Amino acid sequence: MSQKPKSRGRPSSQVEREPGGGGEEAPSTSRGPGGAASQRRAQASPAPGPRSQKQLELKVAELVQFLLIKDQRKIPIRRTDILRHVVGDYKDVLPELLRRAAERLEYVFGYRLVELEPRSNTYILVNTLEPVEEDAEMRGDQGTPTTGLLMIVLGLIFMKGNSIKETEVWDFLRRLGVHPTKKHLIFGDPKKLITEDFVRQRYLDYRRIPHTDPVDYELQWGPRTNLETSKMKVLKFVAKIHHQDPKDWPAQYCEALADEEARARPQPAGPSPATAPAPTLSPVS
Amino acid sequence: MQGNTRRTGVMTDVHRRFLQLLMTHGVLEECDVKRLQKHCYKVHDCNATVEKLEDFINTINSVLESLYIEIKKGVTEDDGRPIYALVNLATTSVSKMASDFAENELDLFRKALELIIDSDTGFASSTNILNLVDQLKGKKMRKKEAEHVLQKFVQNKWLIEKEGEFTLHGRAILEMDQYIRETYPDAVKVCNICRSLLIQGQSCETCGIRMHLPCVAKYFQSSSEPHCPHCNDYWPHEVPEVFDPEKERETGMSRSNKRPSRSRQH
Ligand SMILES: [Zn+2]
Ligand SMILES: [Zn+2]
Repeated sequence: MSQKPKSRGRPSSQVEREPGGGGEEAPSTSRGPGGAASQRRAQASPAPGPRSQKQLELKVAELVQFLLIKDQRKIPIRRTDILRHVVGDYKDVLPELLRRAAERLEYVFGYRLVELEPRSNTYILVNTLEPVEEDAEMRGDQGTPTTGLLMIVLGLIFMKGNSIKETEVWDFLRRLGVHPTKKHLIFGDPKKLITEDFVRQRYLDYRRIPHTDPVDYELQWGPRTNLETSKMKVLKFVAKIHHQDPKDWPAQYCEALADEEARARPQPAGPSPATAPAPTLSPVS
Repeated sequence: MQGNTRRTGVMTDVHRRFLQLLMTHGVLEECDVKRLQKHCYKVHDCNATVEKLEDFINTINSVLESLYIEIKKGVTEDDGRPIYALVNLATTSVSKMASDFAENELDLFRKALELIIDSDTGFASSTNILNLVDQLKGKKMRKKEAEHVLQKFVQNKWLIEKEGEFTLHGRAILEMDQYIRETYPDAVKVCNICRSLLIQGQSCETCGIRMHLPCVAKYFQSSSEPHCPHCNDYWPHEVPEVFDPEKERETGMSRSNKRPSRSRQH
């Protein structure tokens, strides 16, 4: 294979034009292929004047891409990271940027941008499209093989009155061949998955139970769970794996029904409550 | 929603699910894109009139425009299969690749890209790429790790590997077209027929012009004695066949074990 001698110098200004070119894990505009960083630094100090529509549009685009990429890891996105990696000196218009990004995300991609908990300054994307099983084979990534395990744990928590001791979780999972200390073929390190990963993703809350000896922890649903799924859906999942009907658990069924109603109440007549868990889709266009 | 009233259709959940799933792939061949479109209609609305793929994509692109994202259509450089990739048009925005790879990995990609662009054939041998690992920015990388990273680039459809040599995947060409032209202005090659970026193809031994294999195939489709479109000298390479999706379906041959077209040339 013949190669031409290298003739081209690479002036340092080109470094920023290269794909990526950053360091840390988090995606950041300053390491994107473009020269956004230098541009931003140059205009950083003076008080921000009114921006053109074009500038705002570009910022919204960056924000949307940032949120989409971050969401793939299912880690809630912190406002401080949004400010640091995307917004920069557009801080004064952050609410406007977030509003526009949310509108685009929902209209174009079918993702709702929601604050994880009120005033938490942490955001997640909730899919407004119902998942269907056939999606799995249409996906390019592996999807989430751990979803099944998560649903089992969520089911356990709900069936046990919305809170369960960690020891009970392992007693149950052991019967399914999932041990806290043994590497699992699909789930890897199950202990880490349940008590760290799902917790960081905010599907689960994990708390030490006070005054226990030996120390024990309890698990509850995290805020993401309430946004992405519902008691009724989890109950239906539990019923399905037991080949039974949700109504076979009257207490849980009533609770799930009440939950459905509570979810339906605050929203104005939405098109289909089933497609949108918490607050319904705001009508677009 | 701001006025995106073109002659394109209306975004529906069918389009949204399609886009969500396409995003998980990054790039897909046309037949898979059609399968995906069918799937999404089946999920949401069996009775809806199925938009023609081109219109369907246009509808989505019309709302992606303000986000500097586009579903771009291209063809594979070796055999001209149509592919669709979700590409990022804003040079300032967060890149998918930058978020998936560490600094030293991105630098490895850059090195590979440089070797590929500089090469005559559009291929860089893994040995040549791996020889550069000591020069990488960021964390130190051993050759073994670098081999692994190269495989990751292949899995993520940024590179294609053929017999120990690497070239750019159609996805990378679609996504980085502008970047490559700007960064390597005197090393880039352009196809004499379609004028777009050329990484691998055939070249005239007399005047040196280059052509994509699919462009060669189409250009010489009906000529028994091919001559260079530029200098009219005899075209000394084997003329590949035009990609035919129908024929493809019949033979049902697998992409992965196809012989590289490069090796068929004399
Ligand atoms: Zn061409
Ligand atoms: Zn010629």
